[in-house]
Amino acid sequence: MQTGFKNLIKGNTINNSNFVVAKDKRMIKFLTQFGRYILLLKKVFSKPEKPSLYFKQTMSEFVNLGLNSIGIIAIISFFMGAVITLQTAYNTENPIYPKYLIGLGCRDSMILEFSSTIAALILAGKVGSNIAAEIGTMRVSEQIDALEIMGVNSASYLILPKIIATLLFNPILTLIAIIVGIFGGGIAGTLAGVITLENFTYGIQYAFIPYYIVYSLIKTVFFAFIITTVSSFQGYYVEGGSLEVGRASTKAVVYSSVLILLFNVVLTQVLLS
Amino acid sequence: MIKVVNLNKSFNGKPVLENISITFETGKTNLIIGRSGSGKTVLLKSIVGLHEIESGEIWYENVLFNKLNFTGKKLIRSEMGMLFQGSALFDSLTVEQNVRFPLDMFTDKSQEEKIDRVNFCLNRVDIKNANELFPSELSGGMKKRVAIARAIALNPKYLFCDEPNSGLDPITAILIDALIKKLTEEYSMTTIVNTHDMNSVMEIGEKIVFISEGLKCWEGNKNEILNSDCETLNDFVFANSLAKKLRTTGK
Repeated sequence: MQTGFKNLIKGNTINNSNFVVAKDKRMIKFLTQFGRYILLLKKVFSKPEKPSLYFKQTMSEFVNLGLNSIGIIAIISFFMGAVITLQTAYNTENPIYPKYLIGLGCRDSMILEFSSTIAALILAGKVGSNIAAEIGTMRVSEQIDALEIMGVNSASYLILPKIIATLLFNPILTLIAIIVGIFGGGIAGTLAGVITLENFTYGIQYAFIPYYIVYSLIKTVFFAFIITTVSSFQGYYVEGGSLEVGRASTKAVVYSSVLILLFNVVLTQVLLS
Repeated sequence: MIKVVNLNKSFNGKPVLENISITFETGKTNLIIGRSGSGKTVLLKSIVGLHEIESGEIWYENVLFNKLNFTGKKLIRSEMGMLFQGSALFDSLTVEQNVRFPLDMFTDKSQEEKIDRVNFCLNRVDIKNANELFPSELSGGMKKRVAIARAIALNPKYLFCDEPNSGLDPITAILIDALIKKLTEEYSMTTIVNTHDMNSVMEIGEKIVFISEGLKCWEGNKNEILNSDCETLNDFVFANSLAKKLRTTGK
């Protein structure tokens, strides 16, 4: 029995040391990846070889990553605005609450959270996976090597235009999300008969704080940077074949989403406290 | 001239290339041959600087390439052209845009001059009426030709070809080989070709280096390769039954 007890203790020690080693390895891996991410950013923000070509590339990214996202953002915003309005209406049926609060609730939900955070999560899925797959495919098919051989700073040429395009265009998407969402709320509320158009219009103007728009746009810019750089990082360092490109796309969406949620908390505390 | 001295390269502590020393001559088609996984591609990518080497020296004429910083390497790279195994054409660009890319990036030529140069390079590799096609619309052989056209767009001093014949039928493979040899002589380039195709060796091999398991086993030319004493090389050269038969019959 004593031997068994000793083995048990020994076993626990081994398990504990294994746990510590595994934890250390994870930490080293995290720090290595973080270091590579910073080095990639350094490479991305170096002086462009030919600014005119970068400008052309940025314009094409405006279309790929910005204009092509308007549809999905508009559709989702419209229905989110509608649902928020209906849910607010059914949860505030008490006659004590003035009806215009439904419009106010829709407006603030759209501005504070949906247009920036939820839209960013949607874009992490659409744009993030697109970026990781595009750059990852270029890596495995040696197109990035071809750029390097020509003497082109591949990281800067491929990633910088995407960053500029999303930083400039995502705030526009946010404004579109706000407008379409509130419009959707108004339509749904009046069609369902839970609020009159006058009440809804009064509600969306009531106690309006313009800073909320600024807050939302600041968050959007941060989230755009996270989506583009994290997804590009995942794609740029892909090794292997199509399976790894698929994995990189998934990782891009997951890591971007987690970071968006984390920074949402931090930015809210910093900007609204 | 490109000179490699005592090059060592490993991945995750596992040596892939050990003490490789070779001189690649100007105006000649230099071949690196060996079995799949022998380290040919790693050697080629180390020479062009896509892989960082552990130790050794890579000289381009009198410049120690592997010790240069990014800007220094960029200068040498502006004199390089490379044909990749999978062609590595940019998917989102047309044939014309692919060939024009290095001209757009590194020259201040006018649009007309660039178009002229693109058409000249495409003509040189026998590609006609394909300027507006995308890489996905081209056959394997056409992709290789367009990639060669892109590689020669800036009149390179050094041309690198990684398995230029892989995935091609024997006739197209011979045409690609002949094109590489012709361009090398015409522009007096230093050309290095990675291959495991014995047809290429016998067609264009002016200088041949045989790599096996990360080591340089043999060096010579196409006339010497059939009479070598190196057993590993003989196993590689006379791998198929027809070649073995020819060897035993002495023909």
